[in-house]
Amino acid sequence: MRMWLATTMLCLPGVAIAQSAAPDPVATSAQGDLAVTIYNNDLALIQDTRQLALPRGRSRQEFADVSAQIRPETVTLTAAGAGIIEQNFDYDLLSPETLMSKSVGQSVTLVRTNPATGAETRETARVLANNGGTIVQVGDRIEILDRSGGRVVFPSLPTNLRARPTLSVTLDSANAGTRPATLNYLSRGLGWKADYVALFDEKVGKLDVQGWVTLTNTTGTTFNAAKTLLVAGAVDTVDGGNRPSFYGGRGTPGSRGNRPGTETAGREQLGDFYLYPLAERTTIANAQTKQVSFLDVAGAPAAKTYFYRNPWLQKLDEAVSVDTVLKFSSSREGGLGDALPAGTVRVYMRDARGAPQFIGESEIPHTPMGSKLALKTGEAFDVKILPVVEKRERISDNRWRTTMRYTLTNARAQGVTVELAQAGLDGWWHDTKITDESQPSTRVDADEAVWHVAVPANGTASVTATFDTRF
Amino acid sequence: MRRVLRWLLALLVGALASAAPAQTVSPAPDRVAVTIYRAPRRAPDQAIDRAWLQGYALITEQRRVTIPAGRTTLRFEGVAAGILPESAIVTGLPHGVREKNLDADLLSPRSLYAGSFGRPVTIRHTIAKRIVEEEAILRSGPDGAAILQTRDGFIAADCAPSQDALVYNRVPPTLAAKPTLSVELDSPAAASVTVTLSYLAWGFDWQANYVATLRPDGQSADLLAWVTLASSDTTSFADAETMVVAGAVKREGSAPNPAWSARDESLTFTCFARPIEIPVLAALAPPAPALVVSAPAPMAMDIVVTGSRVRVAGFVQQEDLGDLKLYRVPDRTTVAALAQKQVALLDRVAVPVGIIYVSTIDSDGDATPPRITLRLRNRTDQGLGVPLPAGPVALFQRRGDTALLIGEGAIADKAVGEEVEAGVAEATQVTIESAHPASGKDWEAYRLTARNANSYPVRFEARFAGENLPRMSRMTKKLVRKDGKAIWSVEIPANGTRSFGYRIKGRD
Repeated sequence: MRMWLATTMLCLPGVAIAQSAAPDPVATSAQGDLAVTIYNNDLALIQDTRQLALPRGRSRQEFADVSAQIRPETVTLTAAGAGIIEQNFDYDLLSPETLMSKSVGQSVTLVRTNPATGAETRETARVLANNGGTIVQVGDRIEILDRSGGRVVFPSLPTNLRARPTLSVTLDSANAGTRPATLNYLSRGLGWKADYVALFDEKVGKLDVQGWVTLTNTTGTTFNAAKTLLVAGAVDTVDGGNRPSFYGGRGTPGSRGNRPGTETAGREQLGDFYLYPLAERTTIANAQTKQVSFLDVAGAPAAKTYFYRNPWLQKLDEAVSVDTVLKFSSSREGGLGDALPAGTVRVYMRDARGAPQFIGESEIPHTPMGSKLALKTGEAFDVKILPVVEKRERISDNRWRTTMRYTLTNARAQGVTVELAQAGLDGWWHDTKITDESQPSTRVDADEAVWHVAVPANGTASVTATFDTRF
Repeated sequence: MRRVLRWLLALLVGALASAAPAQTVSPAPDRVAVTIYRAPRRAPDQAIDRAWLQGYALITEQRRVTIPAGRTTLRFEGVAAGILPESAIVTGLPHGVREKNLDADLLSPRSLYAGSFGRPVTIRHTIAKRIVEEEAILRSGPDGAAILQTRDGFIAADCAPSQDALVYNRVPPTLAAKPTLSVELDSPAAASVTVTLSYLAWGFDWQANYVATLRPDGQSADLLAWVTLASSDTTSFADAETMVVAGAVKREGSAPNPAWSARDESLTFTCFARPIEIPVLAALAPPAPALVVSAPAPMAMDIVVTGSRVRVAGFVQQEDLGDLKLYRVPDRTTVAALAQKQVALLDRVAVPVGIIYVSTIDSDGDATPPRITLRLRNRTDQGLGVPLPAGPVALFQRRGDTALLIGEGAIADKAVGEEVEAGVAEATQVTIESAHPASGKDWEAYRLTARNANSYPVRFEARFAGENLPRMSRMTKKLVRKDGKAIWSVEIPANGTRSFGYRIKGRD
C-alpha cells in the first residue's frame, strides 16, 4: 500500500507538465480485445480477452472497465494454466459516509488551520461512532465532529470500499507469466433494433428502402474497438422479453394483409436467428446511438390501399378518416428480398417540390423473407366513412336483426377502393348470418366480413348489410 | 511499478489516438426546411400545451462541407435538441457513410467528476478569504463525492472549516457540450459536397384556428383562419422553409415530457454524518439523493402575428402529400426556439352559414340543453371548398364597430364536400322541455316542447338515435333521416313554441 501510494504521488507533478501532450487515461481503458454480441431485448454478451500477468499460486485480479450494468452472476473467466478459486462483485461504494463508518475504532488526523495566520495544528483523533453524527475522541476530550472542528485526514482507504462496482477473481496459477484470459459476461443496457427509411413513389408504385441497424448503449461504459455482432432475436432470459404480436389472431388491431413468409434470406444464421456482423471493429461509446446500414433496395413494388375496421354495433356522429395502408413484400421476387429484423418503418413521400416529407411510421416484428406487409401509415384526410346503425329489432327471444349503413366519401380527384371490415361477428355463439347486403362480402374469417367498396372521385358510395345475430 | 507502466502505455496510445481519423465540423445548416406535424393524440378542442409540445417536426438541412481524403468523422452541430437519432438520414455523400452516431454523453458537473476518476485535480480551500491550493487525486465515484488523496492522506472535500472547490485540468475527451450527430466517412479523395441531413424531432406542434364573424343577415359569416405553430426546441431555425402537415399520421412513440426526462447531472458533495440504521429498517432503501429537477425554462413566448384581419400579407399554400395535406408558409421564416407563430390559412367573406339549436334525445326521452351550433357546407359553390384542418372555432357577432364572442367550439379535419358543424355554446333563450304524459304496458309517451324567447325565429333540431325509429310511433310530426339520426327539424317563430309528441316501445 505504502509503496503504491509513493509511486502515484511521484506521478503527480509530472502529469501537470505533460498535460498538453494529452496522454489521456480515459482513452486507455483496461479493456482488452472485445467482442460484443447484442440481442434485441436489452441484452448483450461481452467477451473481453485481456493479457493477465499472473504470479505462481494464488492471486486476486481486478477487472476494471467491465460494463457498469454487468450481470455478475453470469461471469466466466478462462485463462490457460489457472483455476478459479472465487469470483467477487463488490459494490460497497466509497463515499465520505462509508469511509467514516469504516474508520470507527481507528485513528485519523485532525488538521486545524488558524484563520488569521494560516498556521496548521495537527492532532490525532479516534473515531468512536458515526451514527447520525461523528463522535471522536481527541486526547481525553470527546467531541461531536462538525465542519469547524477541522479537516479529517484518513491514513488509508479500506480495501473493500470501491469507487465503482468492481469485479475481482481469485485465481490459482500453476506457473508465473503473462497469458491471455477471456472474460465472458452478460450485460444490460445494450440493445439494438432496425430502422427502415422507405421512400414511396405513389405514381409508379415503387418503394426504396434502406435498413439501418440502430444500437444504443446506456450501460455507462464505453466499449472500445469491439468486434460487434447483432443477433436478430430476443433470446429468452429469466426476466423475459416482450414482442408485439402482429399477425395475430382474433381481435388483431392491425391492418389486414400481413402474412409471414417462408423464404430463407442469404444471411448468416445461428439456430433460428439471423446474424448481422458489423464489417469493422467499432467503438460503442456510452450514451451513444449508433447506426450502420444493412439493407438498400430500390424500386420494390408497393401499393397504397385504404382500410377501415368497424367494431360491432359501432355508430359514429361524424365521419372519420379511413386508414392509409402501404402494402409491399419482403420476397425475393417482387419484394425487398431479405429478412427484416424487428424495428420501425418510416415512410416518406416527395412533396410538390421534390423534397421527401414524412407520412407516417409503423413497427414491424422480426419478418422472414417472403412476407407480405400491410402497414398503416396514417389516415386519409379526404377518404372518410360514417358507420351508422340503421335499424335494430328483436325478432325472437334470442335473435336480433341489425341493419348497418356505411357511407363512404372521397374528396380526392381519383377514385379509390376501401377495404371495409365489419368485426365482432363471432361472439359467444357462432351463428351470425348476413341476411341481406347491398354488395357481396367475403367472410375472411369467423369474426369479420369484408367489402371492397369502390368510391368514385369526388363522390360517395354506401354499403348496407343486415345481420342476424344472437345479441 | 505496474502503475508507471500503465502511464507509459497511456502515453503511447494517446499518441496513436492523435493520428486517428480527422474531424470535419459543420457548424450550422446553410438552408433548412421545417415541416411541423400536429401532436398525434391531441383532440381538436384541446389547446396546445406550450410546456409540453407533443407534436414533432421533420427537419431537413442542407450543409456545404469539405471532406478530406481518407477516414473522417463529420460532425453536424446545431441540430434540434429533440432529435430522434434513429430517424436521421444523411444523403449527398458520394461514398455513403460507414456509421452514424449520436453522442449524448454530455459534459456536466457529474460527468466531469466521473471522467476525472484517478486523475490529478487541484483542491482550492477558501478559509477566511485565504485561498490555499493543494494537489490531489480523485478517489471516489460521483455517487460518493468527494474523496481525494492528498500528500497527507485521504480527505473528504468540503467537510472542513474551509470552503472547498475542485479545479480540473482537462475535459474528458469523450464528453460533448450538446448531443452531437456525426457520421464516419471513407472518401477516396477530398471533395466539397452539399449534404442533406434530415431527421424527426419532438417538441413542436401546430393547429388551425378559425374565427367566424356572423354578418347582420345571420345567414352568412366572414371566415378567417390561422395556422398557429409552436416550437419548444432550444434550437432556432432561421430563414426556414416552413410547412405544416394536416391529417392523422401514425407514430409509434410519443413525446417525452421535458419535466420528467431531465437527467440529474449535478454533483453533490456529501459529508461524514450517517443516518442511523436500525436493523429492522435496513431493508428500506437509503434516502434518495435530493433530485434536482431542472424546472422547465420559463417560456418566453413571442406571439408573432405576421398578418392581421385587414391586411393579410400572404396565405399558406396547400398541396396534397399522399393522403395528407401539406401547407407551405409563403416566405422563408424563422422558427424560433421557444416561440409560437401565426400565419394566415384562409380569409373568405360572406360564406353561407346556418345557426341552429341542437338537442340530443336519448331512448329514455331525456333531452340535452340546446347548443348554439354553427353549420356550413365545405363546398366551392358555398364560398368555401378547401380542406379544413382540425382546430378551435370562435364565433363572433358584430355589434357596432366591434364584435362580441358568442362561443367557442372545435372541428375535426374536414374534407371538401363535408358538412361542418361546431357547437359553440349552450343556448340561454332557446329551451327544450321533455314531458312524460302517459305510459302503457310496453310503451312510453313523450312530448317535447321547444321554446324561443328571442325576438327572431330560430331553427331547432332534436336528434334521435336512428336505430330507435322502428320502436317509435304516433309521431305528431314527420322525422327526417340524416347520417344515421332521426331528426325533428323545426323553425320556431319569434317568441314562439313548437312541440312534438311520440311513443316509444319499452325495452324488452
